[in-house]
Amino acid sequence: MQKPNRRNRFVRTAIVSSVLCLGFWQFGEGAYIPAKAWAAQELLQRAWHKAGKGISRPAPWPWADTWPVARLKAKGGDVELVVLAGGSGRTLAFGPGHLDVSALPGEAGNSVIAGHRDTHFQFLKYMQVGESIQVEIPDGRQHLYQVTDIDVVDSRRGSIVLDTDDAMLTLVTCYPFDTLEAGGPMRYVVTARKIF
Amino acid sequence: MQQREANRQRDRVPGGVSRDWHPPAADTCGDRIRDAWRRARLRQWPLLLCVLFCLPVATPSAAAEEDVRPEQVQSGSLLLRMKSGYVIATRMNTDIEADVSGLAARVRVRQVFRNDGSEWVEGVYVFPLPDSAAVDRLRMEIGERIIEGEIREKEAAKKAYTEAKEAGKKASLVEQQRANMITTSVANIAPGESVTIEIAYLETLKYDGGNFSLRFPLTLTPRFIPGTPLPGRKGSGWSADTSEVHDASLITPPVVTRSGDHRVTFVANLDAGVPLRYVASRYHPVDVTNDANRYRISLSERDVPMDHDLELTWKPATGSAPKASVFVETVGGEPHVLLMVLPPDVGADAAAVMPRELVFVIDTSGSMHGTSLEQAKRALTLALDGLRPTDHFNVIQFNSVTSTLFPSSAAASPRNVSVAKSYVASLKANGGTVMRPALERALKTPAYESHLRQVIFITDGSVGNEDDLARLIEANLGSARLFTVGIGSAPNGWFMRKAAEAGRGTFTTISALHEVNEKMGRLFHKLEAPQVTDIDVDWPGAGGVEPYPAKVPDLYAGEPVFVRARLSQPARPGDVVRVRGDSAAGTWSSELRIAAGENAPGIGALWARARIEALQDDARRGADADATRKAIIDTALAHHLVSKYTSLVAVDKTPVRPAGTHLSKEQVPNLLPYGQSHRAIFGFPATATPAPLQRLIGLLLIAAGLAAIAVARRRARHAEAEPA
Repeated sequence: MQKPNRRNRFVRTAIVSSVLCLGFWQFGEGAYIPAKAWAAQELLQRAWHKAGKGISRPAPWPWADTWPVARLKAKGGDVELVVLAGGSGRTLAFGPGHLDVSALPGEAGNSVIAGHRDTHFQFLKYMQVGESIQVEIPDGRQHLYQVTDIDVVDSRRGSIVLDTDDAMLTLVTCYPFDTLEAGGPMRYVVTARKIF
Repeated sequence: MQQREANRQRDRVPGGVSRDWHPPAADTCGDRIRDAWRRARLRQWPLLLCVLFCLPVATPSAAAEEDVRPEQVQSGSLLLRMKSGYVIATRMNTDIEADVSGLAARVRVRQVFRNDGSEWVEGVYVFPLPDSAAVDRLRMEIGERIIEGEIREKEAAKKAYTEAKEAGKKASLVEQQRANMITTSVANIAPGESVTIEIAYLETLKYDGGNFSLRFPLTLTPRFIPGTPLPGRKGSGWSADTSEVHDASLITPPVVTRSGDHRVTFVANLDAGVPLRYVASRYHPVDVTNDANRYRISLSERDVPMDHDLELTWKPATGSAPKASVFVETVGGEPHVLLMVLPPDVGADAAAVMPRELVFVIDTSGSMHGTSLEQAKRALTLALDGLRPTDHFNVIQFNSVTSTLFPSSAAASPRNVSVAKSYVASLKANGGTVMRPALERALKTPAYESHLRQVIFITDGSVGNEDDLARLIEANLGSARLFTVGIGSAPNGWFMRKAAEAGRGTFTTISALHEVNEKMGRLFHKLEAPQVTDIDVDWPGAGGVEPYPAKVPDLYAGEPVFVRARLSQPARPGDVVRVRGDSAAGTWSSELRIAAGENAPGIGALWARARIEALQDDARRGADADATRKAIIDTALAHHLVSKYTSLVAVDKTPVRPAGTHLSKEQVPNLLPYGQSHRAIFGFPATATPAPLQRLIGLLLIAAGLAAIAVARRRARHAEAEPA
């Protein structure tokens, strides 16, 4: 009578504790992503100041394969983000990424910056047409953009015109904002035109 | 007789056209799935365990995706397009049948549109045709019934189509966007119904270096659209109309990376007239059977995706290659002539060989990403190996920006060549296709007096402003020559040919790595020097002859004289055409007899097509636009041809769509060309993290664990309480 009962209890305990472990692990992973995103931005701000001091392509951490290309300010300074070079998943974990196929911020042509909807680019949800976005490039110059369009596009069909005569800034993130699913096809696209 | 032999012989095509080149269309996708699976197994297997937990949560999230409320989005147009186009109901597959005889091919393209949705649809499909195709027939098949299309001026055709569409009648419209790009629209396809649209065209064969070839473009490489967006749009493509490409929205159909449809079947009947050494398909495995000199070629595989061009090539047996031929068709009492003469291969005059300045211009834009760039790099490396010590050279690469290897052309010393090779090896593809600055740099830099400048332009030609670029080349060519090398699974053949014509050079197409050696070898031979210059054609009868091209261009090694002409009076017995030109071996001339009474159908339409092209070239060079337009319309209407200003339209008589039912317009996508990366062209990275999902799963698991502990505790207490 006792024996099977003890084994049962052991199995039950094992299952419950592994479920708990998995739970903590998943929660931890889920919490780690925004923590990493936040911490990386802190390091990046430091790298940015270095960039201002004439070091070209400063690496934000010693083993980084990306570097800051611009600093983006929006929402009256509430949002301050260092934009990295490249749009790979690894880069986007640390900061919004500037797609190297597109023009550099401030230059003629369309400059495309992508960011995660759950971390850095969550604020896009609250952007309105007419709001301004400030972009600082490594040489210290400031550019001011004004939001002209906000679209939802299907990334399998839509595309971004990269070669525009005006200096444009396109911020891209996943859509919808409040879904659990990652890797969906929809994108939220905020287009801004340079004012000066 | 089964002639699988011919199939095997493909391996003997110079350069080795291998029959083993099966484009593994699903490869990258398969890799992606495998990768995702591996990742899932390594990192996220708990996720798999928890699918059960997530199901009730995931469903509302999927619903949220569908639920795009207009107030969330300020600009409505994209949203609307997305909603209607989210799931495309219109499916399309293509059957191609070609009859080849003499120097021309008659091709029928049958597009089967099937509506899998529950609404009535209008299907719009933008697709490629060969760059010199003369489209002269449209047929709409609804079940057993066949409705023949009529040729009309573009606006009138569009009006007839739109009226029929709105009245609920079945209708079809075939419009030309570019010389090699056509749009088919089919209105009022009922839910669950199929409508077949048959388009027929004529084309002249390509004959070069003793090889005949016939190419069938099957998909479009997305075109790069320069300029600023203009308000309003003509079509529903992915690009807005822009200041430089006014019709951009008409030439940028959506692109999909995968499709269960977009399949092609292909059959060609080739009446060679002479014994052949081989018949082969360059990029698709084919079965060949023959009865004497009549061959039948069909695809060996079923379900062939339309993601790269199909090309047939055949070579007459040694000694039976045609040296000269004349075909005549009498239309309206006037003989129309297609004439081909192959000058003897005399080689270039060694004494006249000048030292050259070779400027290699290589396209490294996003559309070249993948196999195209590999082909381009291989071709360019081979070209660098072929430089002579007396040559000068430079390499210019362009995408959104242009950069050059040397500030100005450098001597082809072993050191410079090896520097160039490592430069080429390091090239990466991304960004836009901004050709203008690269071409300007190649052509406008002051040339060396002592050197002959040859520009080798390596690109997929995926641009929307073809005319502008051709004009630029013509204006800045000077004494230089420009040769185009078209790269990739689906290069823009029309741009390649027009750019080479404007540059007074030739064009070469490379669509697979294994043919780089063969094709570049042939190009080097041509780069030596033109073989025949100052070509004149003397026609019988006094005046009134209208030949195209009006002035035969210089010929390079292996190229024949090809002229289409309309004579002013019927040919009399004994009439001859005399062709003469200058070559290294002195003056060369040839006489051809025009046989009266013979009739080769289609020559009239081919002449008309050549005339329309010549008129458009003149317009590009500044001829009066209205006069050109009128001349093109007259020619096209007389020969029933689709052109820039004329379209084919077919309208059914009886309305079928009940009044008040909605008709949704759907754009049928093109398959992304084999080997290209959607991301490199359109650039949408993944921008969501699994963080929220992981947090939710974590919380659910913790809650479940705690609940289990609580239950166990309570049970234990009960168990203790009971015996007492």
